[in-house]
Amino acid sequence: MSPLLEVTELTKTFGGVHAVDGCSLAVEAGTVTALIGPNGSGKTTLFNLITGYLRSDSGRVRFNGRDVTGLDAGALYRHGLSRTFQQARVFPQLSVAENMVVAGGYGWRQLLGSRRVSRSDRARADELLEEFRLSHVADLLAAELSYGQRKLLEFAAVLMSEPTLVLLDEPTAGVNPVMIETMERHIRARHAAGITFLVVEHDMTFVMRLCDPVIVLDQGRTIASGTPAQVQSDALVLDAYLGS
Amino acid sequence: MTRLRSSGGLLFFVILAALPSFNLAHWVLNMLIFTLMFAVMASAWNLVGGLAGYPSLGHAAFFGVGAYAEALWFGHHSVTSGWEPFLMLPAIGVLAALIGWPIGAVAMRTRTDVFAIVTITLLFVAQGFAFNLHSITGGAQGLAVPPGPWSAATYDRPFYYVLVALLGLAVGITAATLRSKIGLSLAAVRGDEDKARGIGVRTTGVKLLAFCVSVGLTAMVGGVWAYYEGFIYPQFAIDPLITIAIVLMTFLGGRATLWGPVLGAFILESAQQLLAYQLGGSQVYLIAYALVFLLIMLLLPRGILPTAQERLRHRRRRLDAAPGPAGTGSGGSAGGTSRSGSTNGVVASATGGAQA
Amino acid sequence: MHALVQGLILGVLTAGVYALMASGQTLIFGVMKVVNLAQGALVILGAYLAYQLFVSLGIDPFLAIPITSVAMFGLGAGIQWLFLRPLRKEDRSELSLLVTFAVALLIEGVLSVLWHTTYRSINTGYANDSWTVFGFQITLVRLWAFLLSLAALGLLHLLLNRTRFGRAVRATVQNPESARLLGIESDLVSAFGFGLGAATAAAAGSVYGLLYAFNSGSHYDLISRLLSIVVLGGLGSIGGAVLGALIVSTSSAVIAATISPAWSEMTFFVILIAILLVRPQGIFGSTARGAL
Repeated sequence: MSPLLEVTELTKTFGGVHAVDGCSLAVEAGTVTALIGPNGSGKTTLFNLITGYLRSDSGRVRFNGRDVTGLDAGALYRHGLSRTFQQARVFPQLSVAENMVVAGGYGWRQLLGSRRVSRSDRARADELLEEFRLSHVADLLAAELSYGQRKLLEFAAVLMSEPTLVLLDEPTAGVNPVMIETMERHIRARHAAGITFLVVEHDMTFVMRLCDPVIVLDQGRTIASGTPAQVQSDALVLDAYLGS
Repeated sequence: MTRLRSSGGLLFFVILAALPSFNLAHWVLNMLIFTLMFAVMASAWNLVGGLAGYPSLGHAAFFGVGAYAEALWFGHHSVTSGWEPFLMLPAIGVLAALIGWPIGAVAMRTRTDVFAIVTITLLFVAQGFAFNLHSITGGAQGLAVPPGPWSAATYDRPFYYVLVALLGLAVGITAATLRSKIGLSLAAVRGDEDKARGIGVRTTGVKLLAFCVSVGLTAMVGGVWAYYEGFIYPQFAIDPLITIAIVLMTFLGGRATLWGPVLGAFILESAQQLLAYQLGGSQVYLIAYALVFLLIMLLLPRGILPTAQERLRHRRRRLDAAPGPAGTGSGGSAGGTSRSGSTNGVVASATGGAQA
Repeated sequence: MHALVQGLILGVLTAGVYALMASGQTLIFGVMKVVNLAQGALVILGAYLAYQLFVSLGIDPFLAIPITSVAMFGLGAGIQWLFLRPLRKEDRSELSLLVTFAVALLIEGVLSVLWHTTYRSINTGYANDSWTVFGFQITLVRLWAFLLSLAALGLLHLLLNRTRFGRAVRATVQNPESARLLGIESDLVSAFGFGLGAATAAAAGSVYGLLYAFNSGSHYDLISRLLSIVVLGGLGSIGGAVLGALIVSTSSAVIAATISPAWSEMTFFVILIAILLVRPQGIFGSTARGAL
């Protein structure tokens, strides 16, 4: 069976600098795959390329058995590939419930025909908010949430479209230890429910606890992949992290 | 709450519709007509400038499209019952929306300030066309529109009623938009367009739709204006000051609110008429207008309605919080962290310190 | 063919003045992310000041530039301090459009009260002198205007690269956050930047007054042209502003010479749309940060 996400020889340059340089990797369905690498190794650029926020110079991306190279972010989202951002991008002037509903990936018929927040939308949103323990803030503006709550909200919102693959960009960056644990619990729960994850993360204990396999990126290309234990003992990886 | 608000809206329109029956002085009705024109245009502008967050400075170009379309059509067709020019309005709206589509599609590739620049440039180009296409627009000599067959005493009334209907249409469209998923999508576009696109919001579609509806409504007002004035000149049909006035009214009343643009139009247009009446000649008037303009921007940058809503929210929150410290609104410390277990969590930060 | 070359010469010479005006505009954008819709009005104000100095005191418009640009530096800094500084950061870019437009109206109102709306022009003794080179006519005033604009642009370049304040301005343009961390007072830099933009408008105004007749409403003609130039070159890039001015003014001069002056005003819009279709951020513009 072919992998859920397959990236082949993806390249992106910014003004002569190869941010992503012939990168290939695969994410198998049903895994929580980690993508790690030193700062500036191209992880975020790669995320932006895979999710259609940036256009690659060359290379291909296959998702769920079809070639999705060059599709825009919205189309990919509707195909079941969604992501979160490192800085938790939510809509501050919308309520928490609206932040959930807006991520529903609607077609024109629903846009024109159904209410801003219909009863069924609200029910779906409430269910997820309950799961993420955000029910009590459902009617506050997202601007009023704490940073950690915003990260949870962003995560919960992309689940509204029932994705098959979720890319998480540093889910634990800038949040307190308790929130890190909460985040881990939610990822595990959703993983158990059948969602595949690709996680960029700097927190190594988090990665080692949660992810398998681990893919290591350095200077825009994959230098290693395997189980956490294999990667940890890989000479190339140590080199990349400690500097040569 | 919503029922209260919509019945308030209904009452507003009932009063508006009843006003001419009170035998208002001619100048009052005349002033109301201009106020209504601006109220419709401000509401229309709000769809794209407020709800979608794309501050168009080119709307006067579409006002001109409507005015010229009306004048050109009735340069070749006669007006008998007097209602024909009004019956043309839907067609004018559609025409302007069709013209607006490709323009919006290109201009909306840019964001806030560049979008404003592109659209203001569009306005000057449209003015250039009106001046230079002599054979069609009559150039600086302008065009005449035949007058309606009504007596001088009640001549204003049909225009007044048509504008009330247009205002009803504009406010109705805004209300429907706010209540539908289009309104939600537009709010997302205004908040963070890239993120919105990434979560499947049809950003290009909804913002273009808002733009086309908005310029269509604006052109319809232009059509009414041309008929009312009876004669149009390029410098008045496509006037940057019209754009600026409707933008200012929307800002004054409150962007992205249902009634803000209408409120702003009623306040500002009356103030403007008063200033013009008091100061007469256009020169001192311009200075006074600019000063009022600056004061509004500096003192009420968010507009009347949003500021009032904010005050109300704060007061309500204070009232909520009064009974006891465990008020309902305090969302600070909770958020899924209710279980204890921080002892394990500390370990996580051991190697996790190297974030950007 | 002759008309085409004549148009090209005229276009290049005129480009200098527009480059000067637009560099002030783009500088203000670069420093504050403010699109200054009053730049045209400031240029016209500069033209009136030069006119008055010439009529009352007999000061040549070229020599008046040091006086007017110092005065307008103060005015520009004042505008920034009074009207733009108080705006909240979240919606500054939107509000500043309106505020600067109001400032333009204010200037227009004051000008029309002081000088009425009749057209003025500065008639120096050399206003109509011209040379004929290989059959092509070159108006002396235009040549001087061109050279002066180049000199002023050069001076601006020196100011930005060699002075402490200039370096602070450039740092702010490139990265406002780290500039603040380095202890650069952003309000002061903004006031300085706006002042500098207004001073270039003063210099450009002198030149504009020599080349064209003007009245208080003339800023409307300027503003769309200036904005197109700035967007073409990429907001915040002075090099881009110069190139944009060159493109806009040569193409419209060529159209004026070969087709009709009436349509020359349209050319820049066509170019603008064409560029935006390919590169929404302009020729030299970067979407995120500016560079001077």
